Amino acid sequence: MRDEPTRRAPRAFHVDGNRIVEDEAPREEPGHAQTSHARRRVAAEIVPEPALPEEEILPAPMPKRRATHWGRWLAVGLGGLISLAVGLAVDNLIRDLFTRTDWLGWTGIALAALAVLAVLAIILREIAGLSRLKQIDRLRQKFAAAAEADDRKTAGAALKELTALYPARPETARGRSAMTAHTREIIDGRDLVILTERELLSPLDAQARNLVGNASKRVSVVTAISPRAIVDLLVVGIENLQLIRALSQLYGGRPGTLGIFRLVRHVFAHLAVTGGMAAGDSLLQQVLGQGLAARVSARLGEGVINGLLTARIGAAAIDVCRPVPFIGTQAPRVTDFVSSLRKAADTVEEKEVRTD
Amino acid sequence: MQPDRGVIRPLIKLTSIADGTLNAFDNIVDGAQALAMPNLRLGVTGLSRAGKTVFITALVHNLVHGGRLPLFQIAAEGRIARAFLQPQPDDTVPRFDYEAHVNTLLDERIWPQSTRQVSELRLTVEYESATFMKIMLGRGTLNLDIVDYPGEWLLDLPLLNKNFRTWSREALALASEPARKGLAAPWLDALAKTDPQTEADETQARDLAARFTAYLGACRDDDYALSLLPPGRFLMPGDMEGSPALTFCPLDLADGTSAKRGSLAAMMERRFEAYKKHVVRPFFREHFARLDRQIVLVDALSALNAGPAAVRDLEAALAGILSCFRPGRNSWLSHILVHRIDRILFAATKADHLHHTDHDRLEAILAKLVEKAVARAEFAGAEVEVSALAAIRATREAQVREAGVTLPTILGTPLPGERLEAETYDGNSEIALFPGDLPDDPAAIYEPAQGPAPDLRFIRFRPPKLERTAEGLTLSLPHIRLDRALQFLVGDKLA
Repeated sequence: MRDEPTRRAPRAFHVDGNRIVEDEAPREEPGHAQTSHARRRVAAEIVPEPALPEEEILPAPMPKRRATHWGRWLAVGLGGLISLAVGLAVDNLIRDLFTRTDWLGWTGIALAALAVLAVLAIILREIAGLSRLKQIDRLRQKFAAAAEADDRKTAGAALKELTALYPARPETARGRSAMTAHTREIIDGRDLVILTERELLSPLDAQARNLVGNASKRVSVVTAISPRAIVDLLVVGIENLQLIRALSQLYGGRPGTLGIFRLVRHVFAHLAVTGGMAAGDSLLQQVLGQGLAARVSARLGEGVINGLLTARIGAAAIDVCRPVPFIGTQAPRVTDFVSSLRKAADTVEEKEVRTD
Repeated sequence: MQPDRGVIRPLIKLTSIADGTLNAFDNIVDGAQALAMPNLRLGVTGLSRAGKTVFITALVHNLVHGGRLPLFQIAAEGRIARAFLQPQPDDTVPRFDYEAHVNTLLDERIWPQSTRQVSELRLTVEYESATFMKIMLGRGTLNLDIVDYPGEWLLDLPLLNKNFRTWSREALALASEPARKGLAAPWLDALAKTDPQTEADETQARDLAARFTAYLGACRDDDYALSLLPPGRFLMPGDMEGSPALTFCPLDLADGTSAKRGSLAAMMERRFEAYKKHVVRPFFREHFARLDRQIVLVDALSALNAGPAAVRDLEAALAGILSCFRPGRNSWLSHILVHRIDRILFAATKADHLHHTDHDRLEAILAKLVEKAVARAEFAGAEVEVSALAAIRATREAQVREAGVTLPTILGTPLPGERLEAETYDGNSEIALFPGDLPDDPAAIYEPAQGPAPDLRFIRFRPPKLERTAEGLTLSLPHIRLDRALQFLVGDKLA
């Protein structure tokens, strides 16, 4: 429609409410039969604004094909063997049960069926979770492309999809209704993305910051007072996994076990990518960490550093889980969480002094 | 004297040194006042009918009544505590009659009459600041000073750096262009019969001036929509009608001759200089020399309606006017001594008169029209944005399908007397209009229409009918990108 070689001539139609009505005074145009005009005019009708067509949306960049991984084939092979072994064992078990008494055998079959059902359900959930994560990734790319090209259509379609992600989230209700009102007006693509961030995602962003702040505080306090290094390690690992899962759920993801793996991989990839850009940030982190470490006891310093690590992972996880890239708003940085960490460290120190 | 043909020098060199000193003095006074109460002078610049009055009215209405401004950050975040009109600082200038304009727009559904006088308003915005420093200082206040004036007067600014001889030559050259020749004929005939060196005669001068004025007025008609028509007071005399300073016209002066004392030429020249001194220079000094931000409203659609001659004319007029302003980045010192305009928004107004799918092209066309001014401002370090906007959105959008072809149309009520082909509208019936496709290549606007019928036909629509809520509250004025314009123009001052 856009790239027609000839430009279309101006045209006007009489309108009554939402209906085209026939012209009272037919236009005189030499060389054209009056009847054909009248027929054409009656044939004209107002159609609703076209729904945003999917195929006109900018394609997301294709991921690169990766080389064949022999490790993956190894895993497939071994996994297959193990499954076969398990199947065989179950089969043998049930046969054994049947040889003893029938009812034991039937019970075994029922239990096995239950297990199979559960496995199927888990697989389905995992698949759904993974596809939801992929959808969020795709949404982020769409929003980024829309903002880049200032493309209203792409932004509108992505917004629709995003609103569909949060139908049952009371904290986004206000934002959703505001965005529905905005889409009725003429707003450019990039502006629409910025508005989406501001109206729809800002309550979620605030919660996300809270989650990251609390997790990093917990990590720093626990590592500061825990007696064994292995406990530190466990706490940091578990806290971070929980944080990533919570953030993903907050932004509309439903990660299962595989989903978490995928997310963790993304977070670490993201950390590796942004590591260079956040050099200044990490420098500050070092200085602050050192300063704090020198100021408080060595253990407390360690706690703060662990807390900062968690904050950093949390910030990366927000970037990975958020369905809209940070365009109009500031992405959370590690420095945002420093002051709360410092407060946590101070309270721990005070308590230690008191107990000593 | 070397005529500066084509090149219009920045006005700073041409306003007299006395003016410069006065400006600097004013700026220092302003600076001192700004410490206590920050204010921002927003220059709403635009030729007549570009929509200055409507823009100002919509701006004030939306701020005062908390209109829908999702992209104006401070409003979207709900940080505007109060916005209200204050008595403006200049006691001698009439107040912008905001209430009357709102009434005509909302109740009578007609656009405000063309402005005849300078008027001014001060809008005070009290807001909650979001930056740490300002929070400590308490609630922020910003005074927004806006001046409304007849757009015709803006055409006078380029006269400041022309003398009578240069201006006469240019005006005569312009009048003999094909688009204007017919309109200028009565005046040119009278001029041909006049010898500039005869003794000055008031009757003759008045006759020539009247014919010249009639020619300028005729050029402005919708069918021609020409823009470059100085001097502006001839079209909109304000309170100076009939005074000697408005009774002159360009003369056909032979090169190298000097006007004899007491001759018609000498009288005209003296009056031209008086016009510059008593009319143009004070107007510039009082209202334009000290702007902080500027929005240039351009009605590209009516020029496109009238064809390539009008488009070229509009381009020339804009170039002349914009060369009078001083864009650039402000340092704290330059802020006090010479004000520079650090943000300029070029806005193609009446964007509601075409479908939003064409807005990008309209922006491209405007960017083409003001290409040089944009380059100059960017070079000087000012921030520039080009945007298609409608301060008040008068239409809705709809798709009309006819014989398998879907046309993106706009729905609205045309002004009475507007016509498309053989049909004239009465101002009551609603139509769906497809105004034609804007060209993909903005340069195509300089070429005449391809077919027998014009490629484009924009029709002016009446202001929108606003529904009132059950409580009797008027809903906010609809607009297109007004919030974005506000964010660009004043957003940073309300951080």
